[in-house]
Amino acid sequence: MQGLIANLRIFLSGAVLSYVALFRWFEPIRYVASKIILPLNQILFFTLLGTFATGPQTASFYAIGNALQVAAISGIYGVTMSVGGERWEGTLIYLFGSPANRFFLFFGRAFVHIVDGILGVVMGLAWAALLLGVDLSQADPLAMALVILITTASTCGLGLLMGAVSLVALDTFFVNNMVYFLLLVFSGANVPLQNFPEAVRTFSYMLPLTRGILATRQIVAGASLAEVAPSLLGEAFIGALYLALGYSLFKSFEYFAKRRGRLEAM
Amino acid sequence: MNAIEIRNLRRVYRATIGTLRRHIREVVALDGISLEVRPGELFGLLGPNGAGKTTTVKILTTLLIPTGGQASILGFDVVGQADRVRPRIGFIFGGERGLYWRLSACDNLRYFADLYHMDPDRSRRRIDELLELVGLLGREDEKVEGYSRGMRQRLHVARALLHDPEVLFLDEPTMGLDPVGARELRQVIRDLKGQGKTIFLTTHYMFEADALCDRIAVINHGRIVALDTPERLKGYVRDLRVIELEVFGIAPPVIDQVRALPTVDAVSVEDFEQKQILLVQSPQGSELIPEILRLLDTARVGKVVVREPTLEDAYVRLVGGDRGLAQVD
Ligand SMILES: Nc1ncnc2c1ncn2[C@@H]1O[C@H](COP(=O)(O)OP(=O)(O)OP(=O)(O)O)[C@@H](O)[C@H]1O
Ligand SMILES: [Mg+2]
Repeated sequence: MQGLIANLRIFLSGAVLSYVALFRWFEPIRYVASKIILPLNQILFFTLLGTFATGPQTASFYAIGNALQVAAISGIYGVTMSVGGERWEGTLIYLFGSPANRFFLFFGRAFVHIVDGILGVVMGLAWAALLLGVDLSQADPLAMALVILITTASTCGLGLLMGAVSLVALDTFFVNNMVYFLLLVFSGANVPLQNFPEAVRTFSYMLPLTRGILATRQIVAGASLAEVAPSLLGEAFIGALYLALGYSLFKSFEYFAKRRGRLEAM
Repeated sequence: MNAIEIRNLRRVYRATIGTLRRHIREVVALDGISLEVRPGELFGLLGPNGAGKTTTVKILTTLLIPTGGQASILGFDVVGQADRVRPRIGFIFGGERGLYWRLSACDNLRYFADLYHMDPDRSRRRIDELLELVGLLGREDEKVEGYSRGMRQRLHVARALLHDPEVLFLDEPTMGLDPVGARELRQVIRDLKGQGKTIFLTTHYMFEADALCDRIAVINHGRIVALDTPERLKGYVRDLRVIELEVFGIAPPVIDQVRALPTVDAVSVEDFEQKQILLVQSPQGSELIPEILRLLDTARVGKVVVREPTLEDAYVRLVGGDRGLAQVD
């Protein structure tokens, strides 16, 4: 019990402090601005581009896809930087020299970004409804809430894996950008999955976000929770898988860095 | 039981060289060192740049896995029982990195208190105590990015002491501090020893080791070349005299010629802005001066003094001279 509380504390304080510590833009006004403007940019850009190419009837397709894609901004950039950023702060030796539970240390890095991502997605959907006329009145609120939570969390799972990769690879930006654009193209946010060849589609389903976006479109069209449950479970499973992979990579990073003497390499 | 025990510790680094045609070079950082530190002892590891001091501390603090040999802290192996070692030790590596610059001192300490599983009541009291101890009380709510280097270093000291560890590792703790700050920190170190903590300290500064340590190991090229109390180390050079010559522009070949004189034991040079101080150790005293002056013939020579050897001279002799030792305060 005592141990659990101590671990929760590592998780929560690590969550909040690492977020504030590593993000230079954490100032209330800029923060709010970024939360409102970024989703707007994302949605407007791709929806306008998409409808320009395919006609106005597809606006809802792009708007919803990109509202969900906003989760990847926090989930990939945010999470990767809170893990990888420890290297730049030079704090890795102090983290890995402490007795702290590594799982909570690691997982805590994603927590605030999940909340952050949820806000971003909600904001994105609000823009979609306000500016692009997406009709959300058919959506089951519970199903909607669940799909946003699960999709954001699973995207953060991939972010954690990428964070661990960036510790190993010493390069955060390259890794971040690559994954963000992979998601942009292959998650189905902007390209209908049926346009992909079979092999690519399989790849799409190995990514987080893909099922979440599909489910959200269905929910907006009036599908019930039961109908989208398989997609939600799949999304949750994918997220957990990436988290598990990320954590094992994080653990082996610790081991190999200590073995090779590279804990402080930059 | 010993607080620290090291047996035949070896560490080899593999460094890759070159970008296109890469090849691997092995650096032997520790070449089989053994030592023991008793509980409550303040032990100094002294050596020139690259001698292997930080490598030793990293291994002892579970941050680096040795290539060979064993090390244990309070009976726990630093590799196999790292989980038992970590809660019992505190450590700082000289310098100012390793803190969250966007957070206040207080938040930094709170976070590290969590990492050491301290309960919030205890950590709150402890953080106040430590802020007071390191002289940051009153500034604790400011962000670390606005701190001076010395303040950051003192914050590191507080961080290392949070969980009241039994064994402390201080890797060049006074590096970069001004003379007053360094003196204050040395007093803190003495107080910690007074509280019964075991302290393992590394330094370049002989006088610092002399002033603080119960015993000193001198390390050079990954090997321990002497291990004794400061008093007994001084005995290594008791029969020597040190000739100090102030010179203005001296060529390296001349230094080698001085070193080659039959009765000369060790030669070192300290560089100052315009002048250098040539330190010559020899069993002979003033009788040697004419001979040295003859070799120095082209260089301008200022003051010449013959004096009793210090611990620093013992150190110079042990690590072979010729390094410009850092100035002392
Ligand atoms: N991560 C590393 N990779 C490769 N070589 C390393 C690494 N760390 C240290 N070395 C090498 O190991 C040797 C010992 O280094 P170490 O840092 O232990 O010396 P030190 O006594 O602490 O020196 P200083 O007084 O300069 O801090 C040096 O030759 C150094 O170049
Ligand atoms: Mg060092």
